[in-house]
Amino acid sequence: MRFLHERLPNGLDVIAEVGDSALSTSVGFFVGTGSRDESDAVWGASHFLEHMVFKGTPDISGDEINRRFDAMGGGANAFTSEEDTVYYTSVLPERQDEAVDLLGRMMRPALRAADFDTEKLVILEEIRMYDDQPPFGADDRCRAAFFGGHPLARSVLGTVDSITALGVDAMRDYHRQRYAPGTMVLAASGAVDFPALVESARRVCGEWAPEAPSPRGMDHQPLAAVSRGLERVVRPTASLDYAVRMVAGPGERHEDRHPAQLLATLLGDSSGSRLYWNLVDTGEAEHAAFLHHDFLDAGLFVTQLSCEADDVEPLLARAADIFAAASAGDITTGEFQRAQNKLASRVVLAGERPLRRLFEVGLEWSHVRTYRSVADSLRIVESISRGDLDRVLHAWPLDAPAATVIAGSGGAA
Amino acid sequence: MKQTLHSATLDNGIVILGEHLPDLESVAVSFHAAVGAVHDPPGRCGLATLVGEMCLRGAGDRTSRGIVEDFESAGVQWSQGVSATHTSFSGAMVARHLPDVLPIYADLLRRPTLPADEFPAARQMVLQNLAALEDDPAHLVMAELRKIHCPAPWGMPTEGLSADVEAAGIDDVRQFVADRLQPRGMIVAVAGRIDWPDFVRRVDALLGDWPPGTAADVAGGPRGPRASHVVHDAQQTHVAVAWSAPPYRDEASREATAALAILGGGPSSRLFTEVRERRGLCYGVSASYQTSRDFGTAVCYSGTSADRAQQTLDVILAEIDRLPGTITADEIDRVKARVKSGLVMQQESSAARAGAIARQWYHLGRMRTLAEDLERFDRLTVASVESWLATTLPPGDLSVVSLGREPLEVPRAIPA
Repeated sequence: MRFLHERLPNGLDVIAEVGDSALSTSVGFFVGTGSRDESDAVWGASHFLEHMVFKGTPDISGDEINRRFDAMGGGANAFTSEEDTVYYTSVLPERQDEAVDLLGRMMRPALRAADFDTEKLVILEEIRMYDDQPPFGADDRCRAAFFGGHPLARSVLGTVDSITALGVDAMRDYHRQRYAPGTMVLAASGAVDFPALVESARRVCGEWAPEAPSPRGMDHQPLAAVSRGLERVVRPTASLDYAVRMVAGPGERHEDRHPAQLLATLLGDSSGSRLYWNLVDTGEAEHAAFLHHDFLDAGLFVTQLSCEADDVEPLLARAADIFAAASAGDITTGEFQRAQNKLASRVVLAGERPLRRLFEVGLEWSHVRTYRSVADSLRIVESISRGDLDRVLHAWPLDAPAATVIAGSGGAA
Repeated sequence: MKQTLHSATLDNGIVILGEHLPDLESVAVSFHAAVGAVHDPPGRCGLATLVGEMCLRGAGDRTSRGIVEDFESAGVQWSQGVSATHTSFSGAMVARHLPDVLPIYADLLRRPTLPADEFPAARQMVLQNLAALEDDPAHLVMAELRKIHCPAPWGMPTEGLSADVEAAGIDDVRQFVADRLQPRGMIVAVAGRIDWPDFVRRVDALLGDWPPGTAADVAGGPRGPRASHVVHDAQQTHVAVAWSAPPYRDEASREATAALAILGGGPSSRLFTEVRERRGLCYGVSASYQTSRDFGTAVCYSGTSADRAQQTLDVILAEIDRLPGTITADEIDRVKARVKSGLVMQQESSAARAGAIARQWYHLGRMRTLAEDLERFDRLTVASVESWLATTLPPGDLSVVSLGREPLEVPRAIPA
């Protein structure tokens, strides 16, 4: 696989990882904006804007966009997170130009008021849908409690109130500020014709004004939860309780982030991990996981647990005991090697799928302007040592003051 | 694009299928035993799922932990699943590990130890999963739709019923394994960077001397139409609609697939356009073609706020009614484009191909080449879809389910 990069005069980066045996081409625009870049006045605007991008440009209607993507055979999709908004599609190689052309034009949407009003109803339904299903908002509540006043405290979808109050002019301003070519990356992976990709980018995106991107608020992360202790979300009809607990972990620019990933696999993967054997295999928890999430300037270790209401606090305590034992140094060589094998195998298998590579390569470039091949990622995983894990456990104590939220039928409340 | 498909049948009836994908580093393997939820005995709904879990709790000389550790030491991304008709064990890995991993699968299938001391935890795990599903409204509405619309026992929940699982014992598990977990009907599929003759030799050595077994097939009961409402206290109401469609092996399944894609298969589909884009009624709305070996089903789904659910259902039913006589050539072209890219992109995933060839064998008794699949969809026309619609609409057996605080009005022709 080869990596290629070119920067347009207006600052838009065009990158590609070309795989000679790939059968498909994945392309995407990676926009460096998300909920952390919002204020109270535009809370939820990044995600709402992601929907509005599919509602058309001055020349192309929303229906036409949908028809064109379906006619290319791949369909198109998008997602918004705290830090990124990503638009992507996978097509057969002969459709590359068509796909880049349409995605590129969409980045300058019409943002028509009538479409805005209709789509607002869809966003409100999306908020209600997630609110009706596990973990019943406990994850958003927990992140808010952990981060306090930090920009990462804000939920991606916004709230019914913030979306209802949002006006189309505020969204137009937000788009102008955040979709500058310098904050965007056009990435492609798989069977990519790179000269044609750059040519399409020049044609479609070359005229975008090279406005200085508005700077991103970067705070120091809280090293312990801002709002500590336990909060409850009451859903009287819930069958199980759903707990989320967050403590500080390394962010994505920290050297500890790779060992942190291995630690999370060892302690809390969906099978074969310590939480699995101690809480799930025994039939006590429906789900128990320990994950590492990293952001530009912050990181989290997240414990997720679902089980019967009476068991939730005892099982959280058991999880804490498991973490304490690991921190005290009882990780065996065998389980360390299995976790390492597992991560290495994931890297290799994901490397075969152009769309998976698109996300890896696009987000990495968008955040830190570096490229990591599959072989590079494999080397990183294979170079992690037992000592690295001990260092992470020492530097990011899992018994640090945490934010915990439990959603369920009420428990002791 | 070159494609190499292989098949072999062992003396005991086990069918081995292979696809060589030389550009991949990986290989994916899957073992599909012809035993699933439709074989659950009366009063033991969920037994097959419980058996699938128990097979992982000891096999041959391996303990529960040993099985998982052996998989993970070889870097296998493994999974186990029970469907209506099959119990499957699968895995994807870097190709060189395959020979070391095959004996683990042979142990799981032939030598599950079914230890009594592991049974309470396994049963509790299945019960926990059932409790979690009670919190998932989209799952609940589809489960109710299958229950009222599909012929028994295909409508029964694969994951089980709590009361039945609670009543099950280790003897039920052991009896079920003895009666049903057999080579008869078993399919083994492998795809990716494979050495076909070596693979067949190894599977034959591991499974070839296993007596074929005599378990009988299950007959289906009658099906829909029915209407049903499930009371669920939440902000959104969920609606699901079904009617009969031909099974996959029937040539007309191609037209059914296309018609359902046009109705609700993507962002340019009728339902997405009319329900979501035009009216903003919901976040999720879709239609799809689903198939068992002997019957197919057309399914529509949406979830929306309670006060707009009636309108959502009315628009869905109106769009179904509007299909005949209105199919356009552009819509047919979009279906063809989607099918073509889906088929080509499947070749990038060993796991997707292993699954696809196993499914084709189950439904058709043979594999289709990529060229044959593509050519089959090239024959799709406006006229062929219209002629299928003329035979199926209006549906003779429409079923409608709602789930939410209040019931919805359904067309009076449908019995509750």
